[in-house]
Amino acid sequence: MSAESSSLGYGLGLRTPYYQAILEQRPAVDWFEIISENYLVEGGKPLYYLDAIGEHYPLVMHGVSLSIGGPHQLDHDYLRRLKRLAQRVQPAWISDHLCWSRGNAHQLHDLLPLPYTEESLQYVAARVRQVQDLLERPLVLENVSSYLRSADDQFSEWQFLAALSELSGCELLLDVNNVYVSARNHGFEPWDFISGLPKQRIRQLHLAGHSDYGSYLIDTHDQPVSDPVWQLYQRTLRHLGPVATLLERDDHYPVLDELLGELEQARAYAAVALQEYRPCA
Amino acid sequence: MRLNDWQRELEAYLLGGDPTASPALRASLLGSPALSAEQGLAIYHNAYRARLLEALRGDYPAVHGWLGDQQFDALAGAYIAAHPSRYFSLRWLGAELASFIETYLVPAQAAPLGELARLEWAFGLAFDAAAAEPLTLAQVASLPAEDWPNLQVRLLPSVQWQLCRHNSLALWRASKAQDAFPASTALEQAQVCLIWRHGLVSQYRSLEPDEAAALHGMAVAGWSFAELCAHLHQLGQEAPLQAATWLRQWLGDGLLQRHGG
Repeated sequence: MSAESSSLGYGLGLRTPYYQAILEQRPAVDWFEIISENYLVEGGKPLYYLDAIGEHYPLVMHGVSLSIGGPHQLDHDYLRRLKRLAQRVQPAWISDHLCWSRGNAHQLHDLLPLPYTEESLQYVAARVRQVQDLLERPLVLENVSSYLRSADDQFSEWQFLAALSELSGCELLLDVNNVYVSARNHGFEPWDFISGLPKQRIRQLHLAGHSDYGSYLIDTHDQPVSDPVWQLYQRTLRHLGPVATLLERDDHYPVLDELLGELEQARAYAAVALQEYRPCA
Repeated sequence: MRLNDWQRELEAYLLGGDPTASPALRASLLGSPALSAEQGLAIYHNAYRARLLEALRGDYPAVHGWLGDQQFDALAGAYIAAHPSRYFSLRWLGAELASFIETYLVPAQAAPLGELARLEWAFGLAFDAAAAEPLTLAQVASLPAEDWPNLQVRLLPSVQWQLCRHNSLALWRASKAQDAFPASTALEQAQVCLIWRHGLVSQYRSLEPDEAAALHGMAVAGWSFAELCAHLHQLGQEAPLQAATWLRQWLGDGLLQRHGG
């Protein structure tokens, strides 16, 4: 299968304000990514719209609560429910984040970064393998935006992701905006990050907007993709070739047409970049 | 620092009220010229509270509207400190807020506000409760006459049963319509308010005490239709008619499912 045909194309994050418009307009979106946790409920509107939209579009499940690097035991009840949802949705793949979101005692509801150490690597890799055995499929893990960096780091974040993928067999969701945000905050070159990842492991890209607080950035997903992130996206595609691209918006929701316009922009940027893509012989 | 120790330090920092990190946690972090370690810590510290507060404001718009931003945030902050989140989804963060209000506020304020919180939470429970096939009027009408006396029903999973001693429903309606809140008052007689989902749409209805007793008897206590008629014996020959009238109403509302044969 060529890279072109294995890519799902250009998708949008499925969010509540757009449910009705999507069913009425059937927009030219190649696929939708759902936030898995929003559908781990017993019934009602969320599951109704999930089923109705799933009849017309391929879906991908994206989670925020796996806490793959957390100090707690893996939540088997959560994983069973995730698997049951996957049976209903038949997603193209299931993703979450390289982070921890739950502590020893409590849920922290954030995507907290890990120290990139050998200890973390072995710990997370073992848990990824457990999750993959349970879900019976490779897990796709996303790089997070971060605002903290451990003094104990033995790897860069990209070296850690590459090693984790090698050790556990997981695939990667490269969030181009998160790379840009973390690069600005921590002072590394975004291209070092992207070019340091194993190409063949990158299953999907994320695009989103961030907020600029002067010297640092916060990943807010509440505005359009910024110009530097578009440039980084194009360079990424020139390097990787076609990869499934997903546009996220999680606040300050514009009307659907405006978001569709931004997705068209992604297609247009990608078309130009992919003309310059030269797969290795 | 070992991974687990570092995570314990950061968790304690995030859950604590003090935005200043312990020396051990601070020493475990590197800042950059763009973002100092202190700024980075503060981003996570603020985000934790803001995210949980937003979830509670979303689940309790009427309690929020009634109290105003400042008092609601103080209540929510105390609640979060007393009940840190234990479930992977924020959907369940506010599950204990009504009980917390009853212990946190002075009794005169706690009773009406706790009730309003319970009412709002009940709407949420009805919203995403399990779907089930409601028993229809047509199905019941087609039953052979000899099956009627033994007919038994249960409430559908989405039906929430709320006993209101105050005008909580009026407060909830005012919040929903973004109208001015009426004064909070005690009702002369406590009233049952049912909240449920019919298809995808949330519904609510107040019941007079005799209808509430009849519905409770049949759909909760497990009376058969014949037993319901027997409990209405004071109506004499009118008892079966009253029972059938209510049953028709409940079926039309989409409240019931068949139980047993």
